[in-house]
Amino acid sequence: MLRPFEIHEPGTVEEASVLLARFGIDAAIYAGGTELLLIMKEGLAHFPHLVNIKTIPGLDEIALSAEGDELQIGPLATHWDLERSPTVRKHAPLLAEVESQVANTRVRAVGTIGGNLCFAEPHSDLATLLLAWGATLELSSSEAQRVLPAADFTLGLFETARQPNEILTRIRLPLLSENTAGAYRKFSTHERPMATVAALLEVKDGIIEDVRLAVGSVGPLPIRASEAEALLRGQSIEGATFASAAELAASASDPMDDLHGSADYKRQLVRVLTAQALMEASGRAAGETNEG
Amino acid sequence: MSEGIGHNVPRVDARSKVTGEAIFTGDLKLSGLLHGKVLRSPYPHALIRRINTDRAASLPGVVSVLTSTDLEDIDPYYGHSIKDRPLLAIDRVRFVGEPLAAVAAEDEVTAEQALSLIEVEYEDLPAATTLEEALSDDAPRLHETDTLRPGLFHGLGELNPDGNICYQHSIHRGDLAEAFKQAEIIVEQEYTFPAVYQYAMEPHTVIAAWEGKSVTVWASCQHPYLVRAELAELFDLPVASVRIIVPFLGGGFGSKSYTKMEPITVALARKARRPVRIANRVDEAMVTTRRHNMRCWMRTGALADGTLIARHVRLWMDTGAYADNGPRVVATAADAAPGPYRWKSFQVEAYCVYTNRPPSGSYRAFGATHLQWIGESQVDEIARQAGVDPVDIRIQNLLRPGEEVRPGGKALDADLVGDVQKIADALDWGSPKPPDTGRGLGVGLLAAGARPVSTAIVRMEIDGHATVLVSSTEMGQGVRTVMSQLASQELALPIEHIRVPGGDTWITPYDRSTGASRSTTLAGMAVHRAAREVRQQLLEIASQAFEVALEAIELRDGAAWRGDQSLSYSELIQFHFGFTGGELIGRGEVSPGGNKGSYAEGPVFWEVCVGGAEVRLDRDTGRLHITKLVSVADVGQAVNPDLVKAQEMGASMQGLGNALFEEMIFDEGQILNGTLLDYHIPTTEDMPDQFISRLVENEDGPGPYGIKGAGEGALAGVPAAIVNALADIGVQVTELPLTPERVWQALREAEAEHDDGGSPS
Ligand SMILES: Cc1cc2nc3c(=O)[nH]c(=O)nc-3n(C[C@H](O)[C@H](O)[C@H](O)COP(=O)(O)OP(=O)(O)OC[C@H]3O[C@@H](n4cnc5c(N)ncnc54)[C@H](O)[C@@H]3O)c2cc1C
Repeated sequence: MLRPFEIHEPGTVEEASVLLARFGIDAAIYAGGTELLLIMKEGLAHFPHLVNIKTIPGLDEIALSAEGDELQIGPLATHWDLERSPTVRKHAPLLAEVESQVANTRVRAVGTIGGNLCFAEPHSDLATLLLAWGATLELSSSEAQRVLPAADFTLGLFETARQPNEILTRIRLPLLSENTAGAYRKFSTHERPMATVAALLEVKDGIIEDVRLAVGSVGPLPIRASEAEALLRGQSIEGATFASAAELAASASDPMDDLHGSADYKRQLVRVLTAQALMEASGRAAGETNEG
Repeated sequence: MSEGIGHNVPRVDARSKVTGEAIFTGDLKLSGLLHGKVLRSPYPHALIRRINTDRAASLPGVVSVLTSTDLEDIDPYYGHSIKDRPLLAIDRVRFVGEPLAAVAAEDEVTAEQALSLIEVEYEDLPAATTLEEALSDDAPRLHETDTLRPGLFHGLGELNPDGNICYQHSIHRGDLAEAFKQAEIIVEQEYTFPAVYQYAMEPHTVIAAWEGKSVTVWASCQHPYLVRAELAELFDLPVASVRIIVPFLGGGFGSKSYTKMEPITVALARKARRPVRIANRVDEAMVTTRRHNMRCWMRTGALADGTLIARHVRLWMDTGAYADNGPRVVATAADAAPGPYRWKSFQVEAYCVYTNRPPSGSYRAFGATHLQWIGESQVDEIARQAGVDPVDIRIQNLLRPGEEVRPGGKALDADLVGDVQKIADALDWGSPKPPDTGRGLGVGLLAAGARPVSTAIVRMEIDGHATVLVSSTEMGQGVRTVMSQLASQELALPIEHIRVPGGDTWITPYDRSTGASRSTTLAGMAVHRAAREVRQQLLEIASQAFEVALEAIELRDGAAWRGDQSLSYSELIQFHFGFTGGELIGRGEVSPGGNKGSYAEGPVFWEVCVGGAEVRLDRDTGRLHITKLVSVADVGQAVNPDLVKAQEMGASMQGLGNALFEEMIFDEGQILNGTLLDYHIPTTEDMPDQFISRLVENEDGPGPYGIKGAGEGALAGVPAAIVNALADIGVQVTELPLTPERVWQALREAEAEHDDGGSPS
């Protein structure tokens, strides 16, 4: 049951940061509340002070950078916003595609991308996708601002590099090069996914120039499958050994046994999803090459 | 008349429900209402050494703290089948989640805070948290079974308790050993069925107001009269001093059958001397009642041509720490175990077992759901070995109407062969299948109707409108609509002039229960008879008024007609009383009549449980995709075909959940997936690509117009059909649910076996 709390409505990031510093462990940032209120209702956490950042203008903006080379996403953009935004659909269609499959309609309608990343729940579609994508995250406090690669942000189960007085203020997604194609696969039996795989392939003249492969949801945090990436780099797209790469990703994924399933089964899922994601990405790459 | 039976009259409560006007127990506001919260045991089995409530009681806003010491003036044990359950734990707790204290406070937050101030000292006891543990020789005993007292409504003959077995039941026919000797094909296997949560959207909610020597209870309960009887006995009150009022229910499915949170709420109100409300949360509802997990061993024998001749079944059901409805579930499972075939001999031994887990009770199609997938998968296996088509083997062996189902029970009252053929037809049985696609079907029977005791009153008021007083609970199944239609048919009165209020034991007369698919058939018969009495009175008054014989009068559209002359019902009643006031009253009852209506002689009718499925298997992940789900509603006569179809769909989806993913996972008696985030219930995304429901109306039921109940059968039929469809692809499973991982494992094992078979060794 929800115990009483006080809600604060700062008008700026600075004010929010000051409030967070003042109340310390008694405070939490409140965005869509889809995670926060759940744990508070279950009695797993209690915060006498909630800092509602939805009163800070501009934090839900989605726009192309001035240079036109990256997508800048405000943390308050909801899954729905990202799924439907014409800017996202045009410049990062893979993100829109992934967003359309996150959670359920109710969570998508109010849950934000910032909340998803900052909660660091291990079954996150976005954490997996952004790791492969090479996104960077801007963190701001009343004292400073810093930028972290997605890979350095998530540290473990429900654990991030964010300091208590910091607010995630922007997610920066570099636009994919013309000859890069991506695909995303997930498998769920419950509300949250049991295994997630994101694959990005850069293909030039039929050769795989670069691969970025991330595997998530099976362990405490998403990982890059670097051995699989190394295997594929330099292979021709036609003769690419996706099955072997999938095998490497599966062994690298280090899944844990839990209510969703056994480690054995999750490894199988990673194997299957990786092969599928790579196949689809290569198909897309081929399609783009043909068009271009 | 277009609003009587057989018509798709819109639900009479639809508007009020979608606009939010409909009142549920939790919506009620009473002046001085307190909020109750329950302290629950964190241990599966422990002695309570000490409870100190001082700090909780002195928290501002707390009005009362209740423990078992407050119950010393009453006999605090209840349980409709076995009186084994103290209203609050006394001296020891037997499952994680067992209530041992309760707080009433001015608001919920204070009540919850007070719970954390109650100090309890436990002494851990060895626990039997699984069937295996509970049945082992050195198992800790949950109850002194030799002194178990039967409850008010056990009605199942001897309990035969033994160790942790609180009830055993067996049925048999013929010489089993002899029959198996003749068998040329024998299939034998052990099976496991999971614990499942009924999930009604509205968790159990109760408000109790203690008024000196009487008590009023608003409760989300399915069987108000049975709850009344148990409360009257617990608190030593005449039954009429216990008033149970039942607003709309947000789903029941058996989870609100019999007595649940009512005794604690009443005891708390009795101590607080103020009305108290207790509303379970989902995690509390999950430890209040659930579906029995089960272990089963089954052996079936047949002749080489597929003629079924013998079946032997042993089953053990985990009823948790208290019997709840376990004995009846076990008896019904035993009835379902042979399956509706023409056996030379069968024997079923069924055991209801105490464990240190939350109690198990009713859930839609209990017993039949547990057993049908097992029996039907053995029938399919025999068909495979005999080289007979699954449809043909059923037509060859199914009982025909009038044949004995089990010794002493009612003969078969349905056309099962016709039902199976309809399933086969809807599945395009025999047509080519896409790759990795299988088809399966299942047929079975569910002993339905519970005890045939129902009464009803129909009042026709001075304005010619009628009120139907019947204690059937509207829990989403549409019973108020159906009762309106039955009354409309007899009274020749438009639906909008008929009102069916909720149950209220001070006003609506006795009905045994709302469950076992009985309401339309039995309470409906009482309503039909009550309406008939009013109809008769209207005809008599009209014959006086028109001064003609009764036969010359026709009732139509709320008026009596003689040729083109008419008198409205209102005018007739005024004529009768010679006054602008008065009313006509009709009464109807259903009782077993000649026989005693005992379980052994039952059931009231055999509910048909048939289902068909077409599934596609993803071999890489083990995921099953349901392309088609088929049910047959064999209802005798549909009062409202749309409502029947909605029942079929609901039951099928719950069957799909049971078959594919629903399972309460326990570790040492503690639920690991005790929230809806971790316990997956079927959602719209789990719907099959296609759902087909066929209506069968053979007018062969015991209700008015040949009606018989529906709404449960598909829940038993669907898992059987899915299991058989999967076996059709070559994957045999002996454990539900068919999670992708479990299917994938079975696939791997099947492949490994295949590889072994192929190797030269
Ligand atoms: C039923 C259900 C199903 C789900 N399924 C999926 C799924 O399939 N895939 C998936 O990826 N996710 C899934 N999720 C997670 C979902 O995406 C998140 O719940 C949602 O995006 C969180 O956003 P929010 O705004 O509601 O966060 P909140 O609940 O408001 O906050 C979550 C946490 O992040 C912190 N926080 C929020 N915003 C910021 C910020 N800007 N800076 C710093 N800290 C911040 C809060 O303090 C809190 O600790 C599911 C969630 C639920 C409840």
